[in-house]
Amino acid sequence: MIEITIDDRKLSVEKGITILEAARRNGIKIPNLCFDKRLRPYGGCRMCVVEIEGGRKLASACGHPAREGMVIKTNSPRVRRVRQSVLEFLLVHHPLDCPECDKAGECALQDLVFEYGVPETRFTGERKHAQPDVRGPLIELISNRCILCAKCVRICSQYQGRGALGLIGRGFPTVVQPAFGEVLECDYCGQCIDICPTGALISKPYKYKARPWFLEEKENICSFCGVGCTLTLGIREGRILRSKGREGAGINDGNLCGRGRFGFDYIYSENRLRTPLIKEGDEFRDASWEEALTYVARSLSSIRDAHGPNSIGAIGSPRCTVEDNYMLAKFMRAGLGSGNIASSEAFGYAGALRAFSLSFGIGSNPADLASPLGRDVILVLESDPTITHPVFGLNILRAKREGSRLLVADYRETKLTRHSNTWLQLRPGTLVALLNGMMNVIMDRGLFDRDRVSGIRGFSSLEAVVKEYTPAMVSEITGLTGEAVTDAAVTFANAPRRLVIMPLAVSENNKGPGSALAAANLLILLGEEPSSLQVPAEYCNTYGMLEAGIMPRGGGMDVFDMLYKPGHLRALYIMGEDPLVSMPDSRKIKNTLRSLDFLVVQDIVMTEAAELANVVLPASSWGEKEGHFINAGGLRQRIRKVVEATGKSQPDWQILRNLGLAMGINLGAKSFQDITKEADDFIAGGRREAEGAPRPAFHPVAYEPEEPCDSEFTYTLVTRDVLQHSGNMSTRSEALKLVQAEAFLEINEKDAERHAISDESHIKITSRRGAVYLRAKVTDAVPEGVVSTPVHFPSGGINELTHFSGNTCSRLDAVKIERVK
Amino acid sequence: MTANEFIKKVFFIEILKGLALTLRHFFTPSVTRQYPTEKREPFPGSRGLHALVRDPETGREKCVGCGLCAAMCPSQCIHIYTSEDDDHKKVVDRYEVEVLRCVYCAFCVEACPYGAIVLTDHFEYSGYSREELYYTKDRLLHNWDKYMANSKGREYLEKFWRPKSEDFGVPAAGHHQAEGKKAT
Ligand code: SF4
Ligand code: SF4
Ligand code: SF4
Ligand code: SF4
Ligand code: SF4
Ligand code: FES
Repeated sequence: MIEITIDDRKLSVEKGITILEAARRNGIKIPNLCFDKRLRPYGGCRMCVVEIEGGRKLASACGHPAREGMVIKTNSPRVRRVRQSVLEFLLVHHPLDCPECDKAGECALQDLVFEYGVPETRFTGERKHAQPDVRGPLIELISNRCILCAKCVRICSQYQGRGALGLIGRGFPTVVQPAFGEVLECDYCGQCIDICPTGALISKPYKYKARPWFLEEKENICSFCGVGCTLTLGIREGRILRSKGREGAGINDGNLCGRGRFGFDYIYSENRLRTPLIKEGDEFRDASWEEALTYVARSLSSIRDAHGPNSIGAIGSPRCTVEDNYMLAKFMRAGLGSGNIASSEAFGYAGALRAFSLSFGIGSNPADLASPLGRDVILVLESDPTITHPVFGLNILRAKREGSRLLVADYRETKLTRHSNTWLQLRPGTLVALLNGMMNVIMDRGLFDRDRVSGIRGFSSLEAVVKEYTPAMVSEITGLTGEAVTDAAVTFANAPRRLVIMPLAVSENNKGPGSALAAANLLILLGEEPSSLQVPAEYCNTYGMLEAGIMPRGGGMDVFDMLYKPGHLRALYIMGEDPLVSMPDSRKIKNTLRSLDFLVVQDIVMTEAAELANVVLPASSWGEKEGHFINAGGLRQRIRKVVEATGKSQPDWQILRNLGLAMGINLGAKSFQDITKEADDFIAGGRREAEGAPRPAFHPVAYEPEEPCDSEFTYTLVTRDVLQHSGNMSTRSEALKLVQAEAFLEINEKDAERHAISDESHIKITSRRGAVYLRAKVTDAVPEGVVSTPVHFPSGGINELTHFSGNTCSRLDAVKIERVK
Repeated sequence: MTANEFIKKVFFIEILKGLALTLRHFFTPSVTRQYPTEKREPFPGSRGLHALVRDPETGREKCVGCGLCAAMCPSQCIHIYTSEDDDHKKVVDRYEVEVLRCVYCAFCVEACPYGAIVLTDHFEYSGYSREELYYTKDRLLHNWDKYMANSKGREYLEKFWRPKSEDFGVPAAGHHQAEGKKAT
């Protein structure tokens, strides 16, 4: 700590920080145009000049370290004069576009000019004449307004790890541009839009929509991934027009990914359900709530009476609130007496929970978004958190910048592999072999504390299983070299602070609960705590949904019995989920749904599954209802009603309560507050039960190959998320569709050549279960013999190809590729 | 009671004085105007109904939808909705004034950098419903044609509300580039 004086205030500040930082931390405002706390000092704008007593020249506060005894003036007449001149120079070529510029009203330049009063300029100079670059899908670059602070360039390369923008040219004609003046192709996170102090980078979907002073700003939690970022929504007359991050708000502290920033408009999809629908013959007709609920109540009652409560099942939703899911579980358990409650997370996070409980003896293991920081080595397993959990991914990149070693085991090239120290490019789905191989090396070389670990349950069986996974054998399975496996093991074992990150996603078929078990084995072997295994839950309320009781309990059927085995159920209630899009082997599910006597789908839009339903009930979406989401870290966050409900839609919990009343079941929830409290107590009870010290145990997993390729089905199909989407609701967003509107198949250049496939051409892919047509994306990011596609898009129908078996390591599919003429 | 007071009381002096005043007014000319049969010419620059200036060059509104008028309006009765056209220019889709709420402060006129909104001297407007007095863009442009025809509008702006664009070199509507004004 050192003592300094700023504007007559004596402060004691940390040693080594800059004057600007010291001032900021003590609430003293120093104007600046090129500073951001996430970035390294740049010293480009000179707005932050201050006077230091005894110094001849003025110093820029953002780059000047505070020293013991400094006496600083931030607002002396001399300083003000200099700042005024700086602004005057900026205005020489700044277009006075304010009346048309979207930034006006919240523009740092405008505010400063207003504050420092620069009515006219003493100079005339040429103004910039660059045309606005309107080519990109979401971001427009208007270089004329750029003041060359390079904040966008720096956040994109230093923080976002993308480097899509550069300052091109020198001197006066310098412009901000993607390389070679190409169309901006990047993550579309929009971080550059938020950080730009002027209107040089603007959001296209928001362009010219409204002036900031027409907007009402309200905060809400993002409805996509499990990070749970706080969005600052700009609302005008009941319509959300934009979303941005605000420094200091929420766990994201101002950072957002493209989904949170642009994807909220899915709630305005034309497909939104406005009224209850009842199927008559093959057609739906509009119905009133009363009619629809009476119909559902009558049908469910008669099925229950005829076939017993166990003939009815329900599917909950990771996108609905805690309250909604709690109500569904209560309706099923207390109301109907059925324990058949499941969700798509059986293919994802529920598997991780099972692994936690087997390996560590704990009921939950919430992720910690700050966990990557301060680790010596971070091992990311067959996933890309910068895609699945983008704002969490930023912390991985930050940890790497701050000196962590980043090992990424992945079959394909991703942003993370490009930033990694070591990229272990294994064959898809062979993760378990790699982890076993690493344990083999560790045991072989005695890189662990045998005395401590050998007492743990299952150690001898682990030893027996792992013994076979010599580097040579692992090399055979994974395609990595033996040395690579050994090196990874040694690096990982020798680092004092380690972390493993592996999201388990419903939409990804290259991992499974077995992979999580293998990772847990590795960590327990090295004496690590559960917190070094980071498995962030996938969607906004995956964690909360499971905590609210959406899982088969007390002999209830799981999703496999309910959806893949026709005849087990007579009636099904689906809330906020489209199993035909999100779950594997959708043909089987379709058969099951067709075989039902009665299907109710309650959703915000018409889905594939809803088409098959007897009754479709319109639910209010995110932003139209109150509730809570619990993010991947177990943090319960309030979501708010910020706009009016669409049509006659109602919050899911309310529909369920009313349905209960129509059936003569009183679910006891009079108001939203009641049910929030009840759900809270339920969750708190569950958490108390799950408390207790971890009891680690080894559960060795052997590598099982899944659906091997043969002479006909020669390619391995991997399903992986794309950055612009999360689940399938984001595919209803017009803005996100501008970037990625339809499913595609990534195929290696060499393979493409072999089949004479070119970029964008149509291809047919066939698996043992079905065939779909997709557009090709020829790339070198996926290796030969592997094709990759996202499952988000309902129109893609990818899950007609996929399958599900008992294999816990992966559920990869073998496919064949044909060119379509 | 003094004698003086007594006399005043007996002869109703005060009352007579008052009546005399009344009588005098019978013979002075009347100041009440027989509105509406008799109308007074408004003073130049007086503030009445809104009009949106029609740009003689384009035949469209001059307004670029910057929203400053709406921001300044103390009764918040101006509503502006803009969007992007095919040429990536900003267009005003709707410009609406709830004239019933207007307090005739003319802050909107003063705020406008382009001289695109004016208060005409037409003050006599009434209607049978609120909707009739909700002015849309087309009606506001029509007001300009009707009440500010010929050179009247130009003179009005020159005389009373010189737009800031002329003082500070804000670019003309529809032009992205400004040429800075030289110091004098
Ligand atoms: S960037 Fe700021 S100062 Fe420049 S035109 Fe836009 S609002 Fe005005
Ligand atoms: S949107 Fe994100 S990735 Fe794209 S240029 Fe801006 S900061 Fe970079
Ligand atoms: S575009 Fe914006 S953030 Fe980027 S250099 Fe220009 S002014 Fe700075
Ligand atoms: S999708 Fe996830 S990372 Fe992106 S803004 Fe939403 S919560 Fe944050
Ligand atoms: S201030 Fe002038 S240009 Fe701006 S919106 Fe109002 S009328 Fe239009
Ligand atoms: S903030 Fe210090 S030079 Fe820009």
